[in-house]
Amino acid sequence: MKRLWSWGAIIAGALYFLLPLIGTLEFSLRMRRGEYSLDAYRSVLADPAFRATFGYSVAMALLTILLGVLIVVPTAYWVRLRLPRLRPVIEFITLLPLVIPAIVVVFGYIRLYNTSSLLPLTGSATGTNLLLLCGYATLALPYMYRAVDTGLSTLDVRSLTEAAQSLGAGWVRIIGNLILPNVMGAVMSGAFLSFAIVIGEFTMAALLNRPAFGPYMQLLGANRAYEPAALAVIAFAATWGCMGLMQLISRLASVRRTAR
Amino acid sequence: MSFLNLDHLQKSFGSTQVVHDFSLSVDKGEFISFLGPSGCGKTTVLRMVAGFEEPSEGRILIDGQDVTRLRPNQRQIGMVFQAYALFPNLNVAENVGFGLKVAGVPRSERASRVAEMLELIGLPDMAARFPWQLSGGQQQRVALARALAPRPRVLLLDEPLSALDAKIRVSLRNQIREIQQQLGITTIFVTHDQEEALSISDRIVVMHRGIAEQTGTPPQIYNQPATEFVAGFVGKLNLFDATVLDRASGLVSLAGSEIRLNRPIPPGRVSLAARPEGLVLAETGIPAEVTGVEFLGSVQRLRARVGERDIVLDRFNTDASLPQTGDRLHLSPELSRWLLVSHEQ
Ligand SMILES: Nc1ncnc2c1ncn2[C@@H]1O[C@H](COP(=O)(O)OP(=O)(O)O)[C@@H](O)[C@H]1O
Ligand SMILES: [Mg+2]
Repeated sequence: MKRLWSWGAIIAGALYFLLPLIGTLEFSLRMRRGEYSLDAYRSVLADPAFRATFGYSVAMALLTILLGVLIVVPTAYWVRLRLPRLRPVIEFITLLPLVIPAIVVVFGYIRLYNTSSLLPLTGSATGTNLLLLCGYATLALPYMYRAVDTGLSTLDVRSLTEAAQSLGAGWVRIIGNLILPNVMGAVMSGAFLSFAIVIGEFTMAALLNRPAFGPYMQLLGANRAYEPAALAVIAFAATWGCMGLMQLISRLASVRRTAR
Repeated sequence: MSFLNLDHLQKSFGSTQVVHDFSLSVDKGEFISFLGPSGCGKTTVLRMVAGFEEPSEGRILIDGQDVTRLRPNQRQIGMVFQAYALFPNLNVAENVGFGLKVAGVPRSERASRVAEMLELIGLPDMAARFPWQLSGGQQQRVALARALAPRPRVLLLDEPLSALDAKIRVSLRNQIREIQQQLGITTIFVTHDQEEALSISDRIVVMHRGIAEQTGTPPQIYNQPATEFVAGFVGKLNLFDATVLDRASGLVSLAGSEIRLNRPIPPGRVSLAARPEGLVLAETGIPAEVTGVEFLGSVQRLRARVGERDIVLDRFNTDASLPQTGDRLHLSPELSRWLLVSHEQ
C-alpha cells in the first residue's frame, strides 16, 4: 500500500514536469500542416536576433557565475573561518533576493545609477551591462551561497587554512589553490542554477533594455505560434548542454583524484 | 642566547586569562614537550608561537629575531595538527611540495626535496596517493614531511598522535623523535600523555591552568617534581600524613617511624610522598595493611593502607611469594626516594 502511494507520487511528479515539456516539444514540431517537421527550429535558428540574444545571455550567464564565485567563495569562506557567529545573519542576507522582487531591484538600480546620478551607469551600454550583471549575480546569490556553504561544511576550513599559512601561503593562494578546488562540486551546482536563472530572465533585462534572450522569447511569443515552443525547447536543451559541458570540464580536471 | 625565546607571554580571551606569564628558552635542536591536562593552555601557547594567536603581553624571539608581530606565513615555522589537515585536493607529493611551491622553489629541486622527505618518513612509494587513500598514521607522517620540507626554523606539533590507535602512537612517536634528531630541528611537542612526554623529550614543561609549573628533563620531572600537581600528573604518587620534627635537618615522623630526608624542608605546606616503585617492604618500619594484589607480569602491584591513606606499591616480579590481601607488612623508612611536594598556595 505504502509502495503504491510512493509510486503514485513519483508518477504524478513526473507527469507534472514532463507533460508540459512533451507538449511543448510536440507542438514545436507541428509547423507544417499534417506532418512533424523541424521547420520551426529552422526558422528560429535562422533568425539573427536569436543568435545575438542567446549569445548575449550565455555570455552574461558565464560572467554571472564568475562574479558569483568571486564574491561568494571568499565570503562564505571568511564567514566560516572568522565570523562563525554571523553565519545566520549572512545566510539571511543572501536569501533576501528570493523575497525582494527583481523589479524592485531594477528600479532601485535605475534610480541610483540614472544618467543624472553620480555614477551614471545607465548612460552607456557597458554600464548597463554591468548593472544587469550585478542584478543577475544578486538573483543567483541565494543558490550560489547555499551551495558553496554546504561544500565548505565538509572541510576543516580552519585547520586547512592554518596548515597553509604555516607553509607560507597567503590568502589568494589559500582560496584559489585549496578552498576553491575543494568546493568545486558545490560551485558547479550553484553555477547550474545561476545559468538556468540568467538564460530565461526577463524582468531585469527588459527594464534595463538589454538585448537578452528572455525579452526576445517574450517578443517572439507575442508574434509567432510555433517558434516560441521551439525556442523553449532549444533554451532547455542548451541550458542542460552547457551544464553538462561544465560538469565534464570539472570532472576532467579532477579525474586524477579518483585515478589510482 | 638560546634559539627560541618565549618571553613573559600572556594571553586572554575576553576577560579570561588562559596563559599567565609563560617564559621559556629553547636551545637549537632541542625537543621540548608541553605536558598538561586538557584546557591548561598548551595549544594556546603553541598557537602564539605559530602566529595564529597574538599574545596579550610578551615577546617571541626566534634566533634573536622578534617575530611577535609577524604573520604566520612569514615565520618559517612548521606545524603538525592533531587532525592531520592534509590538503584533500592534492596528492602526497603535492602536499609535501606545497610549502616549497609557495616559496618559489623550482620544479626539479622541489621534486628531489619531496622524494627526500618521503624517504625520510618511510613512504617513498606513496607520492601519487591522495590523503583519503592513506591510513591515519600515514597521513600524519605525510603531514610531518609537509611541515619539514621547507626547512622551517621551528617545528610545532599539537597532539599529533592523539587521533591514532595505541600501537601506531608508540611507533610514530619514536619515528618523530628519530627524524627530529636526524635533522636537529628545534621542536615543541604538545601532549596530555605523560608517557609520551617522558619518553621522547629533552625537556618537559608541565603546564597547569595557564602556568608553567615545572620545566626540566624527564628524570627531573619524574624524580623531583616541584609541586603537588606535577607529582600527581606525571606518574603515580602516594601521599602520606607525616609530621615535621625538624625542618632544617629534614626530620619527619610517619606512623611512629622517624624518617631522615637529609635535606632541609622548604617553608610552607609540604607533603611527604613516594612513587609506587620507590617504596620497599621491610621487616620493621611503617605498618601497612594489604588491601589488594595485582599481578601485572613484570611487576607486582600491591594496594595497601597506611594510616588513613591508600597507597600503591610496585615491585619487580621475583620468585618470592605474593603477599595476600589482609597481610600486615612494613614499609622501609630508609629510602633515598622520598619526595617532598609543595602544596599550592
Ligand atoms: N579562541 C578562544 N576563545 C576563547 N577561549 C579559548 C579560545 N581558545 C582557547 N580558549 C580557552 O583557553 C583555554 C586553554 O585552551 P587550550 O590552549 O586549547 O588548552 P589545551 O591545548 O591545553 O587543551 C581553554 O579553557 C579554552 O576554552
Ligand atoms: Mg590542545
